[in-house]
Amino acid sequence: MGSSNKKKKEKKKDFQKAKLKVGKAKAKAASFTDTSFKSKSITVNQQSLSHASLPFPDQFKQHLSLCISAKSDSARRDALAYITNHISSPGHGVGIPQILTKLLPLLTDTSVPVRTQLLKLLSSLPPTSIPPHVIQILLYIRSGLTHLSPSVRLTALSALEWLLSAAGPATVSCAGGWLKTLTSFSSMMGWNPSVSTAMATKGWSVGIKPVLLGKHNTKKGEPEAKARQLEVLAKFIAEGLKEEVVESEFEEEAYRNNLYRLPTTPNPFAYLNLFGIPRDEENEMYLDRESRLRVFDAKWRAVIEKGKEDARKEGGAVGRAAAALHRALNGGIVVVREEETEDEGEDEEEEEDDEMDED
Amino acid sequence: MPKRKVAALEKVEADLVSLQYKIRRDPRSYAQEFYDQWLAYDAQRQIFISSPTTASSDDVKKFHDLVDMVAHVANLYPEITAPFPDHLKELLNQHHAVLDKELREKVVGSLVLLRRKEGIDSTSLLTTLFPILITTPSKTLRNQLYTKIISDLRESNSKSTNHKLNRTIQTVLHNLVTSDRTSSKGMWACRITRELWRRQIWTDARPCDVMKEAALSDNEKVVIGGVRFFLGGDKEREELDDDDSDEDVDLKKFKHQGIINKKTKKRQKEYEKAVQKVKRQERKKQTPQNLNFSALHLLHDPQGFAEKLFQKHLQNTKNKFSLDTKLLILQLVTRLVGLHKLTIISLYSWFIKYLTPKQTNVTSFLASLAQATHNLVPPDVIEPLIVKIANEFVSEASAAEVASAGINSIREVALRQPLCMNETLLQDLVEYQRSKDKGTSMAAKGLQSLYREVYPELLQKKYRGKAATMGLRSGEVKLRKFGEEEEGGIEGLALLAKYKEEQKKKKLEEEAEEGKEKKDEDGSEDEDDFNSDEWEVGSTDSESSDGWISVSSAGDDDEPVKKKARTDGDDEEIPDLVDLAAEKAAEIERLQKLATTTILTPADLAKMHELVRDAKIEKAMGPQSMSKRRKELIDKHIEDGVTADDIELPAMLGKKATKEERAERAKEGKPGRDEHKSTQAIKRSKKEAEGKSSTNKEKARKKNFLMTIGKARAKNKRSLTETKKRLTAHIARSKSGGRRRNGVSI
Repeated sequence: MGSSNKKKKEKKKDFQKAKLKVGKAKAKAASFTDTSFKSKSITVNQQSLSHASLPFPDQFKQHLSLCISAKSDSARRDALAYITNHISSPGHGVGIPQILTKLLPLLTDTSVPVRTQLLKLLSSLPPTSIPPHVIQILLYIRSGLTHLSPSVRLTALSALEWLLSAAGPATVSCAGGWLKTLTSFSSMMGWNPSVSTAMATKGWSVGIKPVLLGKHNTKKGEPEAKARQLEVLAKFIAEGLKEEVVESEFEEEAYRNNLYRLPTTPNPFAYLNLFGIPRDEENEMYLDRESRLRVFDAKWRAVIEKGKEDARKEGGAVGRAAAALHRALNGGIVVVREEETEDEGEDEEEEEDDEMDED
Repeated sequence: MPKRKVAALEKVEADLVSLQYKIRRDPRSYAQEFYDQWLAYDAQRQIFISSPTTASSDDVKKFHDLVDMVAHVANLYPEITAPFPDHLKELLNQHHAVLDKELREKVVGSLVLLRRKEGIDSTSLLTTLFPILITTPSKTLRNQLYTKIISDLRESNSKSTNHKLNRTIQTVLHNLVTSDRTSSKGMWACRITRELWRRQIWTDARPCDVMKEAALSDNEKVVIGGVRFFLGGDKEREELDDDDSDEDVDLKKFKHQGIINKKTKKRQKEYEKAVQKVKRQERKKQTPQNLNFSALHLLHDPQGFAEKLFQKHLQNTKNKFSLDTKLLILQLVTRLVGLHKLTIISLYSWFIKYLTPKQTNVTSFLASLAQATHNLVPPDVIEPLIVKIANEFVSEASAAEVASAGINSIREVALRQPLCMNETLLQDLVEYQRSKDKGTSMAAKGLQSLYREVYPELLQKKYRGKAATMGLRSGEVKLRKFGEEEEGGIEGLALLAKYKEEQKKKKLEEEAEEGKEKKDEDGSEDEDDFNSDEWEVGSTDSESSDGWISVSSAGDDDEPVKKKARTDGDDEEIPDLVDLAAEKAAEIERLQKLATTTILTPADLAKMHELVRDAKIEKAMGPQSMSKRRKELIDKHIEDGVTADDIELPAMLGKKATKEERAERAKEGKPGRDEHKSTQAIKRSKKEAEGKSSTNKEKARKKNFLMTIGKARAKNKRSLTETKKRLTAHIARSKSGGRRRNGVSI
């Protein structure tokens, strides 16, 4: 009996009216939870919905912070679009470096629209402002190139393409820009000699990278992606091995400017590396074409040639891209030959024509 | 910057965890993928290092994940990840102050993980972590580093002692303490050393040396750490050792439970665990106990250490340490003095100004004074202190507690150096046994019984007691002069010699008897032997019975005794007595010679141990001799030191506890009850709170009445045969293990 009576009473208790007493605070419910807390400081995120009321610089800054902190993809994309539209208008008061440091992490964002919007934004930046930030941008691109997700890799490729067009010479000559990017490329393509040597010492043999792209991409998309990779690689190598324009004529003014004017580029003596930590081979700056060619020949040529040959046999889009790569590579070789034989340009053109015929 | 939450679906594309899992299962096939991530890690690292303070939360998160992944599989690709440990070390060394909290934790954890997977060695790990432990302002990081350091040291010493590593770390700690004596960084050296000492990982003299330097530091906290280590470190170690062996497992009970209870996997596991534990304990019992010396014994140059401590922290008037600290230091100094019998003459005169009842914690000072006394302290150094205590503490007007504490402390001092007392003072103090206060009178009686034993001449005749008077007459009680030490020997050697002699005698007797029975004609020689034996026995008898007469050598002012001796002793006997005394001394010497003239066989040694044990048991059964007790008392204090409680103890005598105290004592160890409830109910609710089930009885009791009433009625209506059937069925069922068939193998 005891238990049933007890249960009845307990049930009743739930429906009983609480007696209120004069001069006393209302009794707190049994399920009451104390949510008060103490804090030394309170930070309130900008949550105002009315954009119109804010002055333009503040609005711009708000959007800039929204690019990173907004939870939904579309909100981030919209904010990026706003920045893209208004970046050229004067008076927003935010410098290119700040914008870059804020937005570059979005290169590896999980949402595709956000990344495409970011690429648009990047291409809308004035090309003259890019060279000083090449190192930083390249770091993000490199982390994107070997990202787990294949679509992020593609975005990184596009970004690299843009960077080459905006600041090509700076890209290949900055610290770590040449060798490290090549390493990332070859790793992405699955042509990595350092992995196979590391594994070979253990008595392992390593085949061609089994899955170039993630599991979500079908076999269909694979050749296209590979063609794209080869294409960008060709552009990169072509940029690196491009013949420099030598100003043959001595100009009095340019000479004086070089000596006495303030340098126009930031950190003009970076190649001396006066204050940084000593660089190893990978992180070294390869300022001119010859040095780039030398390390390329020593470390990468054999691997890339082999990869290229394999790709050429595939034909189709991949084969075409491989041909472009072939051209870029041979541009380098021909020049070497030129220097050896001291011939001028004609052979090169002929050879290039040959290549075209072969295709 | 606020962190963005990553939705579950977003993760799928870039799932480092699943990649890690795949790599672990098949490192060969996923080498390329790993290399990709290694490059991504490298790029992310450079992004991070280029601006560690302003890195965005996204970047930090990415870097965190990559570090985690690489650390977990680094051992599979040693060539590729060769620079990884250096990266982490560099990151931690240069940026530990500005790193994101989680990332920092991950980096430390990754380093430890690499160590566990043998990617780096302990020395390099510890030498990386240790400087950060000392410098970092973050409390959480310090805690993490501390636990990691301790656990790594434990692990690397678990199989066998890693002397090289220990030496390196001890040197680092030593340098830390000695390099800057004013800084509080030495605290970490103290904490680490103490912890490792407690766990018996470090047991040699080097950690003691570190703590010695800590005790001589200028920083108060460090000094306290060092001093506390010497005063309590060993006790802590013993307690931990006891704790480990405490948890006994009753295997029988487990087996029984296994039969009765329902068989589940959980119970099976519990049982296996218990078996393992029992096995481990047995193995532990069989391994020889390694002997650990206490820290105080491992000190090099205790005299120098004690002197330095005293001069630096106590005698130095510019020292601004708090009184508690000073007391701790004093305890250590006096402990060292008492234990190693050191001589620091200035210590005793330093005591004088603190020996007044108004001094805070005066009982601690008194205890320290007692601790600092030993038989090699010149009595004239202590005498003024004794007089001062007597004057300040012991008077008719002073409070009972004060007087009892004073007398008790005098007793403790005199126990160790009886020569410090003069006759008038002692007689005065002994008179206090007539005091109305029980504590005071007991303390005075204690003093009296002490002097009855060690120096009865100082007491008035009426207080000497029977035993002391007799001893005084027989010369057994002899005052030991200053600096005189008891002669040492091998314990039990005399017993063994005696035993051997007895055996020999028995043998001879038996032989003699046999000889008598066999041939009477040849008996002349044997009889001679026999006679001489008998004579010897007889002589020893007379010796023991006449022993009390030999007072003449020791007696000085006891004239009636002397007279008695003279009247009793015959003219013939007096020279005999002298001979007997000499003989006794010679016999002792002869017995001790056994060790020098013969080689003791293992059987001999075993017999010796047995004899010693028997003798001890006999002594323990009978009344204990006074000097033995005194020695034990001093020994106990050498082990544990004299505390203020020992001094205050007699004041507690004869005091009734107040009602509150009694109530508190009764409540101790009982469950708290905030409402009126039966013990059963409290137990039940406790069980319920622990998530345990109720018994069948309880369930039956709770069952609704209406549910049981039908069965109850039916039971009433049963016929006799029906009842019988039920009962037999019940018995049969219970024999076969109940409805569940417990304990029956099918």
